[in-house]
Order: sequence, then C-alpha cells, then structure tokens
Amino acid sequence: MKKIFAILFLIIGFETIFSAEIEVQSYVDKTKVGTQDILKLTVEISGKNADKVNKPHLPKINNFSVVGSYSSSSSSVTIINGRMQSSITKTYEFSLQPQKAGKFIIPPISVKYKHKTYTTEPITITVVEGSTEPAPPVSGRTRNPYSSSSSNSDNYSNKLSDNLFITAEIDKKSVFEGEPITVTYKLYSRYDIYNLDFENEPNFNGFWKEDVYTPNRLNFRRTTKNGRLYYVMTVRKVALFPTQTGRLVIPPLAMNVQIRTEPRSFFDFGETRNYLIKSKQKSVLVKELPAEGKPADFSGAVGKFTISGSISTNELKAGDSFTYTLKISGTGNLNNFDPPQLPQISNLRFIEPEITTDINKDKISGTKIIKYLVIAQEKGNYTIPSLTFSYFDTSEKRYKTLKTKSYNLVVHEGESIYVPAGSSQSLVLQEGKDIGFIIKTEKLKNTVIYFDSFLFWFLWIIFALSVPITFVIAKEQEKTARNLDYLRQKQAKKILKKYMKTASEYARKNKPEFYAAVQVGLNNYLADKLKIPRGSTQEFIISEIEKRGLPEDILSDLKNIFDKCNKARFMPGGFSEKNIQNDYKEVQRIVNDISKTKI
Amino acid sequence: MKKSIILAILFAVTFFAFSENQHDEIFRKAVTTYEQKDFSNSLQLFLGLENNGIVNADLFYNIGNCYFRLNKLGKAILYYKKALKVNSSHRAAERNLKYALTFTKDKQTIEKEDSISLFFHKLFNFFSLNLLAIILLILFLLIIFIINLIILRYRETEKTVPVFFLFVFISLFVLFAILGYLKWKHFHGENEAVLLSQSAIGYSGPNEDFTRVFTIHEGMIFTIEKTENGWSLIKLPNGLGGWIKNDNFERVKI
Repeated sequence: MKKIFAILFLIIGFETIFSAEIEVQSYVDKTKVGTQDILKLTVEISGKNADKVNKPHLPKINNFSVVGSYSSSSSSVTIINGRMQSSITKTYEFSLQPQKAGKFIIPPISVKYKHKTYTTEPITITVVEGSTEPAPPVSGRTRNPYSSSSSNSDNYSNKLSDNLFITAEIDKKSVFEGEPITVTYKLYSRYDIYNLDFENEPNFNGFWKEDVYTPNRLNFRRTTKNGRLYYVMTVRKVALFPTQTGRLVIPPLAMNVQIRTEPRSFFDFGETRNYLIKSKQKSVLVKELPAEGKPADFSGAVGKFTISGSISTNELKAGDSFTYTLKISGTGNLNNFDPPQLPQISNLRFIEPEITTDINKDKISGTKIIKYLVIAQEKGNYTIPSLTFSYFDTSEKRYKTLKTKSYNLVVHEGESIYVPAGSSQSLVLQEGKDIGFIIKTEKLKNTVIYFDSFLFWFLWIIFALSVPITFVIAKEQEKTARNLDYLRQKQAKKILKKYMKTASEYARKNKPEFYAAVQVGLNNYLADKLKIPRGSTQEFIISEIEKRGLPEDILSDLKNIFDKCNKARFMPGGFSEKNIQNDYKEVQRIVNDISKTKI
Repeated sequence: MKKSIILAILFAVTFFAFSENQHDEIFRKAVTTYEQKDFSNSLQLFLGLENNGIVNADLFYNIGNCYFRLNKLGKAILYYKKALKVNSSHRAAERNLKYALTFTKDKQTIEKEDSISLFFHKLFNFFSLNLLAIILLILFLLIIFIINLIILRYRETEKTVPVFFLFVFISLFVLFAILGYLKWKHFHGENEAVLLSQSAIGYSGPNEDFTRVFTIHEGMIFTIEKTENGWSLIKLPNGLGGWIKNDNFERVKI
C-alpha cells in the first residue's frame, strides 16, 4: 500500500516538475526563395502540455504576406526504464509569399505559456526575383508529339514564365467614353493544374465593370501558341465601360496556381507546388466624346442603336388603357443612359413606365424596353408625338439622332371615366401671366370720402346733440320725482277715474258696495288734490274745501252725496236699490263738476 | 331739424342719380371699346370720366389697365396706386400693381418687414377709409346711446354693465379714430409719386451741375420730401435720396 503511494507521489512529482517545460522552435523550408515561390515557416511546440499552448501569434513580417496557415499535432509516448513519458508536438505551418526581392529577416516568434515566454531564433531569408526552384518538367501531354524526344530543346523552355502565364486580351485599344471594352484573361499552362484561385479582385478604376464570365470549374482546352502546345482556360471576362477619359490602366489579374509535377519513377508520386502569377498590366486610351454636333437631347448613349415605338391600339374608349412601348436595341452602354422622355399630354395619363433591359451574355449588346401604360381620360383625338433619341455612333464616330413614329389616337366616349386618385392629381400649372381684366361696374359710383363729407359730420353733431336733450329730459324727470305732492295732484284724477269705474260696475249690478267705492274714491281724490294726507275725515276735507272757497252749490252737492253714502253704508235699512241709479247719476255730475273746478 | 336732414339726403341722392346716368353710359361704352381692344379710345373715355370728377377705384383700375396695354408702364402703375388710394382693399388693383412692378427696370420689391409691422400694414390696408368712417360712426352712436342711458337712469344703482360697455366702446373708438386719422392723412397725402419718363437722373442738388446720385427708370415709386424751383427732393424705397426734375413724375393724388 505504501509503495503505491510512493509511485503515485513520484509520478505527480515529475508531473509538477516537468509540466512547465515546453520547447518552441521555428524553421523554414528554404532560406533562399523566389518572388514567385511560397516560403513555408513552421513553428513547432513540443512538450507534455504542448496542446494547452495557444496558437502562436505571428508578428508582422515585413515584405512577406501570409497566404495560408495549417496546424497539426502529434503525440508520442516513450517508456524509458519502465517509466512512461508522453510528449505532444504541435506544428503550425505558415505559407509566406515574398513581395519583393532582397534580404529579409523573419523576426523571433514568441509563445506564452504559464507566464513564461518562449522565443525562437530570427531567420534570415534571401528573396530573389522569379523562382529559385527549377521549373518543374512540363506535363507529358503538352510535349509536342511531333517534335519527338530527339529535339527536346526546340520549343521546350525550362523557364516557369514560359510555361505558366496569364494573358489579358483587350478587344479595342482606343475607345470613346462610354464605349465598352471587353477584357479576357486567359491562363496558359503546360503543367497539370491541380487548383487555382484568384489572389484578389482587380481594381478597375475609371470603369463601370460588368462581369461577363467567371469559371466555376477547371475547363482547359488544348491550343498552340508561338508554336507550343498549351492548355488554355478563360479565367475571367469583363466588359468595361469607361467613365473617365485619358489613358486608363487595365489592372493585372493575379492568381494562385497549384500545379502537380508528374511522377518520374514508380516511387515518385509527384508533388504539388504553389505559384502566384500575374498578367501584364495593359492600358487603353479613352477619348472624350466630341463636343461638336452634340444634340441637345443626348443623354450619354454610346454605341450603335436602333429605336422603335409601338402602340397597342389606335382607337379606344375613354377610361380604357393602352400600352406604348419604346424599344432601344443595339450595342453599347445600354444601362448608362436615360431613355427619351415622353412629353405630358393632357387627358392621357402615362403611368410610370416599366423599364426592362435585356442584356446579352456579352454585356454590351441587348435591348431596352420602356413600356408605358396609358389611360385615356377624356374623349378626343390625340397625337403621341415622335420621340427623338440621340447617341454617339462609335463606328461612324459621330452623333446620330433617331426618331420614332408619331401615333394618332382616337378616344371615344366611355361609360365611366376612370379617375384615379392620389398620385395622378397634379397642381394646375400657370401657363401665362397677365394683368387682370377691367371691371365692368353697372353703376359707376363716385366714391365719397365720408370723412370729407358734410353729411357725415352732420350726423355726428345730431348724435352728439342727443346728449344735452336727454340731459334736459332727465332733469325734468328729476324735478317731477322730487315733487311728490305735485305728482299726487297730477295723478288724483287718475285715481278718481279708477274708483268711478268700479263704482259704475257696482251701480249696474245694484250692489251696496257702490257707496263704499264712491266714498273712498272721492275721499282720496280730494285728499290728493288738497295736498292733505289720505284718510282724513270728511269734516276735515269739507272744511279744507271751504277754506279754498269752492262754489256753494258744488260744496252742498258734495256734502249731500257724502251723507247719502254714510246713510247707505252705516244706517240699518239705509240702503235701497231704488235710489242707486239716481245716486250714480248724481255722483257722475258732481265728479264732473269738481274736476272742472280748480281747487 | 329732422326736415333739414331729410332734405340734405334727398338732395345728395338726386344729385348723384342725375350724374350717374350719364357717367354709366360713358363707362359702358369705354368697357366695350376696351373689349374690342381699342385701348387708346377706351382710355380717352375713362379719362373723360375722371376729368368729370369721378373718384372710383374701379375706374382708376381700368385706366391703369388701358395704360398697361398701351405699354405706358409708369402711368399704369400711377393709376393702380390711385385705385388703391381710393380703396386700399382693392384686390384686383393690388394684383395688377404687383404684376406691373415686375416690368420696371428697377427692382422695387418692398423689403421684408417683421411680422408686427406686417400685421399693422395689413390692418391698415384691410379697412378702407369709408369703412372706417362707418365703423367710427356706429361706435359713436353706441357711445352716445350708452351715455344717454346712463343719464336717464341715473338713479338706478346698478350701472356697472353700461359703464363697462361704455369703456369698451370708447377704447375701440379711440383705436379706430387713430387708424382713421392716419388713413385719412395718407389719403390726402400727396407725397407719393411715380416716375413717368423713361429714365431720370437724381442729383445731389436741385441743378444738373450737382453730382449724379442715381438713375431711375419708368414706373419707379418714390416719396417726395420737398419741392424747389421745379426740382424735387425724392427718397427711393432703398433709402437713396436725390433731386429730380418735376416734369419726370406725377404725384399719386386724387
């Protein structure tokens, strides 16, 4: 039991002692490379815990670009003297592409593990132009079968650039602005191509680029060039529309090519090698379009075109629609110009056209179709005018103007007129400007300035005069109101009248209340007239009247009637219906007399 | 007193009715002549009416149109201004004046005013002089009515409501009176003038020996500051001042 513990302790002890120990080293496959070659830089990390180390960070290596990386790991177990020791090796392989010739240093690569940094030695690399490796022997299939092996030197070249290259073919050396150029990149090879890919997308400055062809698989044909047999493949085809003038550069196309060398013997399985090849840079002269003879409606169409218009019907009902189609076909920058514009025609509504551009595979020829849906809104005869289309003819080197036919259209009355809402509405446009028309007044009135007219101010004076008048009236009223007795005197007759009215009513009905009404009425009337308090006794009233000196007969009549009233009202049996009419007549006479006399 | 008012009104009505008949005849004739595009004869008829003492915005407007058709831009502008003087809310005259001003050689758009002065300007033009007179008369009538009411009912303790209304009407009256007075002054003002000659040179003094200050062209509207010996000191809308000869322009006056 104790033994097992001891062994375990030993193992753990070793573990802890050696666990931190890892080894890092780097090396290259060759120290002298060509610019077309690929340099392999390997970083190896070995040790018990190598698999726990992160991928080493590659420092920036000047004049080299990393084109690929690859990693692998292997583990080995060694048993020495019965003691088992395991070791893991991690290998990181970086493919470096030299960028120019010269002597360069690959800086030390450092790996961090458990706070410790392991550093490799720097490596010096010499880069030469071209390739240091001998060009691999060309594929047997491309050897000229007719020249046989006897004269191997006739067309055979060992130089890589003779056996593997890209050409850029340009269909035109000099073009006008907007005139398309087709550039075809072809890969020529006398090797077996294993794989290829584009290094980067060329930058076509000053051009509008349309891709015509990009291969998706290897597709080689046999061809002879300069008397030699090659496998050739179109790797890229673009149509370029110059947007600038002057000498424009067509950039080279760069590709990574993997070739496979042929096995030379039974044991030689051949190998694959990587090459970066570039086509030669070319240029093209782009001329400006001539200014002279440039039509006003020129909108940038360059090439050779034809235009035609068509109309779906010549006769229709209002509210119905028809199509008007413009077709521009030909070779040139079909995508880069504006089609001719239809003018506004009142009562014909052109719906935003549907434009389809059918470009052929070559990207420089095709057809542009502009389809208008037109709604006839009112009946009448209309003409769709002839449209002009101008373009620069590159073959004749001059501007040309084409015309479409004009179409006459008859719109008959329709049942319902389609009035589309929304977008179809437009503001009424002012077509001209002028002064307003003269005014035809029926009655020519002389404008009287009221402020200057007498009548106006006269009215003011009248209005103003109403104030003192009202003031006088108000003063008068005040006076009357203050003199209450005066008022009583004035109103006495009214009171008497009121009582007499009720009295006459009682008289008609032969009622004893007649006497009461007469007595009270006369009493109050006289009190008001004499300016003495109401409700004074008869005796007092009579004596007051006597003082004022009333005619004797009236006074006696008054006394008489008062007596009669008292008799009828207060003496039992004093009232008789027979006397009432006579008494009423008498009262009337007395009242009449009194009101006539001035007291 | 009442009789005299009625008499005055009757007199006025008959006087106008009598002359109107004749004038309407001429006016109709002038309109038909204009419609036949005989602008110069139409103009003579219209001008005859003006010489008969007719003051009417429509008439001045029509005269302006005749002058415009006869390519006398200065006169046209002058008469549109006259029409606007008689009736400041004459929309047609305002429009035509604006349009005619686009033909003058000198740019004379009114500089952009701030919103407050623009408001007063609009208020000023909204009420014509006679409308203001009527408004003032009605307000005066209301004030007098309320005063009378207060006098008659002096004994009543509740006087707040009439006094309040009296106050409101008096303030309105004062406002309109100021407006009316300004408008009336403007109406009788004869400081505005329109250049009728093709062009005129403004000098720094009332003589051709003085320095040339500016050149203005037909249709220019300006104000006259003072007049001396056949020369007038004028002020252009842009603030420039100078002396020009009197026979170059005509004042906008009725």
